[in-house]
Amino acid sequence: MRSPATDTPWHMASRRLTAHRPAVAGLAVLAALALAVPAAPLLGGGVVADALSAGQGSLAFALLAGLIGGGAGVVWGTLAVALGQRAERAMMSLANRLMGLPLVLGVLLASGLAGRGLGLLAGMVALTAAPAVAVLTQGELRSLLRREFLTAAQASGLSGRAILRRHIAPNAALPLAAAAWTALPRALAAESFASLLGLGLPDGVPSWGGQLATAVRLGDPLAVAPPALLLALSLWSLCAIGDGLRAAAGGRP
Amino acid sequence: MSTPLLEAEALSIHTGRDILLDRLSFAVNPAEVLSITGAAGSGKTLLLRTLAGLPAPGAWIEGEVRAQGRRLLVTQDGALTPHLTLGAQFAELLAHHLGLDERAARQRAVAALEHLHVSAAARRLALYPHELSEPMRWRAVLALALAAEPTVLLADAPAASLDPTLRARLLDELAGWARETGAALVLSGRPEDGVTGPATRALNLDRGRLTESTPPTETAVNGEAPPPGPPILSVRELRVAFPLGRTWRGEDRWLTVVDGLSFGLAEGEILTLLGESGSGKSVLARAVLRLVPPAGGQVAWMARDLATAPPEAMRRARRDLQMLFPDPAAALDPGQTIGAQFDETLEALRPDIPAAGRARVIGDTLREVGLPDSVLTRFPATLAPLEAARAGLARALLPGPRLLVCDEPAATLSGVERETFLTLLLELRRTRRLSLLHATQDADTGLRLGHRALVLLSGRVVEEADCATLAADARHPYSRALIAAAEARRPALHGDPPSALRPPSGCPLRLRCPRARDYCAQAIPPLDEVSPGHRVACHYWDTNGSDAA
Ligand code: SF4
Repeated sequence: MRSPATDTPWHMASRRLTAHRPAVAGLAVLAALALAVPAAPLLGGGVVADALSAGQGSLAFALLAGLIGGGAGVVWGTLAVALGQRAERAMMSLANRLMGLPLVLGVLLASGLAGRGLGLLAGMVALTAAPAVAVLTQGELRSLLRREFLTAAQASGLSGRAILRRHIAPNAALPLAAAAWTALPRALAAESFASLLGLGLPDGVPSWGGQLATAVRLGDPLAVAPPALLLALSLWSLCAIGDGLRAAAGGRP
Repeated sequence: MSTPLLEAEALSIHTGRDILLDRLSFAVNPAEVLSITGAAGSGKTLLLRTLAGLPAPGAWIEGEVRAQGRRLLVTQDGALTPHLTLGAQFAELLAHHLGLDERAARQRAVAALEHLHVSAAARRLALYPHELSEPMRWRAVLALALAAEPTVLLADAPAASLDPTLRARLLDELAGWARETGAALVLSGRPEDGVTGPATRALNLDRGRLTESTPPTETAVNGEAPPPGPPILSVRELRVAFPLGRTWRGEDRWLTVVDGLSFGLAEGEILTLLGESGSGKSVLARAVLRLVPPAGGQVAWMARDLATAPPEAMRRARRDLQMLFPDPAAALDPGQTIGAQFDETLEALRPDIPAAGRARVIGDTLREVGLPDSVLTRFPATLAPLEAARAGLARALLPGPRLLVCDEPAATLSGVERETFLTLLLELRRTRRLSLLHATQDADTGLRLGHRALVLLSGRVVEEADCATLAADARHPYSRALIAAAEARRPALHGDPPSALRPPSGCPLRLRCPRARDYCAQAIPPLDEVSPGHRVACHYWDTNGSDAA
């Protein structure tokens, strides 16, 4: 038997995360990118250095829009569960319907019509990610609310508020973080797609999508490869970490 | 004497470090049914795999396994291939083993399913595994095995997840098949999985060694006479129903789980709620504690109605009314230590005990249930099943309750551990003078521990008597089936329980009852008095039916 100090739920969750090989690899790749991207201007010119420095725009934007989208999705799903059956059914069927639509086209449409503003783009990209996060959030919360220890807490005389604060919130934190994380790769993909078509980040803000577009226009296959590879690598890492988080959160005792 | 179909001689398995199975020798003759019981982790699964010729990687095998003909292993989970129809699975298996073409395989499949009493067998072949109910899934799994005509069939904890009534019948049919075809059948499972019932020979596996039959374990028995007295808990016309949404006509649809139940519980009394899963016993137990909201009726504790009790009064009542959950580990918050949760319970229910005094109460209670103080710093996931059960009991006892509502309190325990825990529960009930409301599907435990029993079916009481009377002279076919299943006899009910969404008209047992007549479809039978204190809800309880299946 291990000593109790290493058997806390957080230790167990991090053990499950590190046992998930793709997630570990994804974390390593992302850490390397986080170091290399800001350092890229120091490397001087060259296609690779250019592609790396373009990551600044893409990654920072994905982080911003992903945080907004993930946060909005979590709030959406949580409100649906909190507001009672009828509201839940309405809000979730809206989320499910939106998930079925190609929302990226909305991003293109908005920037096409209203011009390429950073705020508008971030809002629209966040909107593409939010419904999926909302659906995940609602599922996680519903399964958490069914668990027996909440009934036991009620039998122990705890008020609804105490149960929410001491039992529901701490146990929801990790699953909801895992749900919100899925907004990051979605945001990165949506922005890259829009930038590739010239409807993404404003001119002057470097991004992988924009660089790809330029390279394709110039018909330069050598210039296509670095941003494309970096983009694919980042997307894969973000998804892998998301899977790892879900495994870490999902380990039921 | 015929030659055995399966023979193990001095069979040992070790990993280099541990000896898992230690020089096992036995033989199974044609038409013989051997049961191998053992606690979880005693090596049953490993033994069965080895007997089937599928040894685990990384294990050394010594000794010999001799088998004649084809061996087939039905694994513990009884898994079917998810994306294939039953028909396709039969076709694939039978083509592989017997080289049958599709038409012959189909005929063979229908015959095997019908052997296990699957109605409309030919139509079921078009179904996918996820479309089958759990009992039906097990029938399909076992029919697949029978259709392949093995000479040796090994089944690891077959149908362990099913209700005893259904499982006993299925195992009996399996044994009948072995007798008819002269195959050898080996069934393994925990002692309470009912595998010894149909067996011609029973072996017990304990720490890698085989012994003849189950060693007599000390069983928990309640010897006391039921205490007389006025009820302290009284339940009147309690109804629990869950909304199912609307019909297309806009009417609300409800699933009624507890349907107008009334009973009383005296101080110090043990009342058993007996029923299959889905009979409403577990929901009833929770509704008594107001852990699920009732749709109607009254629950009065010490003459105070709980349904209308304001939060403060309810909290005071919770001090008296505590619960044991079927999975004690899952009833503890995985994110907090046992100690923190105990503290929280005391703080909420016993505000009269100062914070400094809580540690002493917790320490005393831990000693009572036989746990060391060190569990307080541990997290629920690190507890063994018996420790978790003891921790659940300790938490329930902390506030000093007067009634314990126990919902299958030993469901996660097996064999000796199970009896140890039930003995402890009975002992604490005596020393603390508790009343118990004990919901279980196991008639054996329920009738051994209780003073009085209510037999529940579809949310209604179908028989009520004191436990001794019920054990000796149950009148309702459903009660008799529950008791038969607990004694590993074949219960005389046909088929599977009907869906709760579409209950039959009249008597809820009608479609499965061996005594049913036309009138049973017309009226719900009322509770009739058989003798003082013994009541039955069956139109024909006085018909002396032999209940032959
Ligand atoms: S009322 Fe009819 S169907 Fe119901 S248990 Fe009695 S005999 Fe069987």
